[in-house]
Amino acid sequence: MAEEEKKEMSGTGTLTGAALEAEDVLADAEPWEPIETKLVVWSLVVAVIALLIGLVVVPTSILH
Amino acid sequence: MMNIMMDMVIRHDGKNWVVENDKLTLSAPTIDGIDEKVRTFMRQNELVKKGDKSKVRMLFDNSTIPQWIRQYGQHYFNRVIEVEG
Amino acid sequence: MADLTNRRWYTGMLTQEDWWAVWLGVGFFFLGLLNLAGIDIVGFLTYPTKWVFNVPEGGKGAIGHAFYAIGKKTSMVSKEFYKGMGWWSIIWTYVAFTIATCTGAAFMRWNLKRFFIGWTIIYFMTIATWFIGHHGFIAANKINMHKYGLNFALSLGGGGSFILALIVGLIIGNFFKPFAIYLSEAAKPEWYIKTAIVTLGVKLGYLPIKLAGFSHKLGKEAAGLTFDLFIAGAAATIVAYMIFWPITYLIARKMFNLPRKTAAVLGSGISICGVSAAVATGGAVRAKPVVSIMVSALVVVWAVIELVVLPGFFTHVWPKTADPIVAGAAMGMSVKTDGADAAAGELLDEFMRNKIAVESNGTVIWPEGIITASAVMTKVWIDMFIGIWAFVLAMVWVYRIDRRPGETVLASEIWHRFPKFVLGYFFCWFFLLAIYFGPGQGGSADAMPYLKTVKAGAVPIEGPMRKLFFMLTFMSLGIITDFKKLKEAQFGKMVWVYFVALFIFIIPIAMIVAYLFHHGMQIPNIAGYVQ
Repeated sequence: MAEEEKKEMSGTGTLTGAALEAEDVLADAEPWEPIETKLVVWSLVVAVIALLIGLVVVPTSILH
Repeated sequence: MMNIMMDMVIRHDGKNWVVENDKLTLSAPTIDGIDEKVRTFMRQNELVKKGDKSKVRMLFDNSTIPQWIRQYGQHYFNRVIEVEG
Repeated sequence: MADLTNRRWYTGMLTQEDWWAVWLGVGFFFLGLLNLAGIDIVGFLTYPTKWVFNVPEGGKGAIGHAFYAIGKKTSMVSKEFYKGMGWWSIIWTYVAFTIATCTGAAFMRWNLKRFFIGWTIIYFMTIATWFIGHHGFIAANKINMHKYGLNFALSLGGGGSFILALIVGLIIGNFFKPFAIYLSEAAKPEWYIKTAIVTLGVKLGYLPIKLAGFSHKLGKEAAGLTFDLFIAGAAATIVAYMIFWPITYLIARKMFNLPRKTAAVLGSGISICGVSAAVATGGAVRAKPVVSIMVSALVVVWAVIELVVLPGFFTHVWPKTADPIVAGAAMGMSVKTDGADAAAGELLDEFMRNKIAVESNGTVIWPEGIITASAVMTKVWIDMFIGIWAFVLAMVWVYRIDRRPGETVLASEIWHRFPKFVLGYFFCWFFLLAIYFGPGQGGSADAMPYLKTVKAGAVPIEGPMRKLFFMLTFMSLGIITDFKKLKEAQFGKMVWVYFVALFIFIIPIAMIVAYLFHHGMQIPNIAGYVQ
């Protein structure tokens, strides 16, 4: 890819197109940590609570 | 009310985080590295006295983000760190 | 020069697209309300209608009337004046919006010359596709095609114009790259769609007023329906988001072995509001900006694929016309980016309304815009929610994962990430609702003359202006979408995370959640009141 085109692709941001290739954001995954389990589980718990409350409270839900 | 001792602008140049203001420019590959350099600078220049605490605010320079993306999300982050003397 | 647009809570008001969508939408809304003082200065806004080359005897569709100034139909005080405007309304509309958008561009410190030229080209290409898309063959359906002397029509309604605009944009974006890059200064789908969403607020507020013109009961039904959408959208959004994000994060981390920050940004980008979520989350977890940039580039391409696939799927496979609001709400939760979602909702609206009219042989006609509103309502809630979720993630990352000593997560971040155009959307909606329930006396017969004056001001904004900005969105989306990006090796497995998460998990869950909260919601039938 031509250097000019790279620059244009990045628009007018100061972060140039070259930076996109310079970084490997896909590699070096860290090991899974307990806090991540907590984050995932608690998000799902909130979803279930919101679902139950929502089904009861929202007048157009299938419970009504 | 937050007492800000020093305001700085933070951006990323593709490899390093860069913080700067009228007086200084510091860069490091990680945010931890940036924080460490800011703390060292403040202590060395006695901008924070021993036993005191001060705050540094880093405002993100939005021009880091390509313009076509800025129409979707116009805020990356602003952050404040505490520096102990 | 550094761009510190979020230095204080108010510093972006003149420098951000979000705010300029509010100024444009609310500004023209108030210009419309001047009708209450007997002044109609919005009737010039141009609007297309179906046309054919050869008009049958006693039929419709003369090419000379393909574009008209909306005031010809709506104005209370200048109907004759606007009647004479015809195709010239295109030029007046161009002048008005060129002044408005160039003012915004100047304040936002864009390259004004390049914006002006780009805007002009995009505007007239948009008008051309709007015109072609309204040829009777494309826009008519089997109920009305005989009026245009046709034996067959595609039944796409206004959807045909949207599809054409997208195709033209995509051709430019993919095959005429230098031209697309030149136009990119003015190809701003998010700005245009946010402006359109503000005017959609006018549409929602105007809906009860419009239907009250048919019957008092229908007006009340419409007001109730918009309120139901508001509540159901909020609940569905929270439930869906809190399922989407963790599962996508899990897929990215466990199945595709991505680093934490990339997985978090990708999780937000794929699962909810696309680019804005990717930027918000990237900042929240303190990821290098390049992560958000890469995810964003991916999101915009996938969003257009969704825009192409889902409206047809929801119309013809499930839930079809049996549950149009479920389809709209599911759209809002599935399609990333406001632009692609609202555009997909508008397409769905056109497809569904045409389908039900044809299926029922004209005995069921739905007012336009309600299905679009259902698609936008869930998206608006999502846009607001991402600011809060990003705040939560910032706290988790700063205090628990990175454990960065001495850093404070600022509550002001929620405001900086708040989608400001939403304020314009709610303002216009509630303002008209206040008029309807206040001086409009809930649509009572006594208040109808007053409400007709309000209508004269609201229709040009919720109709022609909104549709034009939708058209501009379709065109601009196409221009900035480059499908080749999906092939670029640097995205690697992110493309597959996206594919797996979106089609196998997110869209089905969105459909289920939408069903749970919106099943059975009815759109008022106005067949007895319209031609």
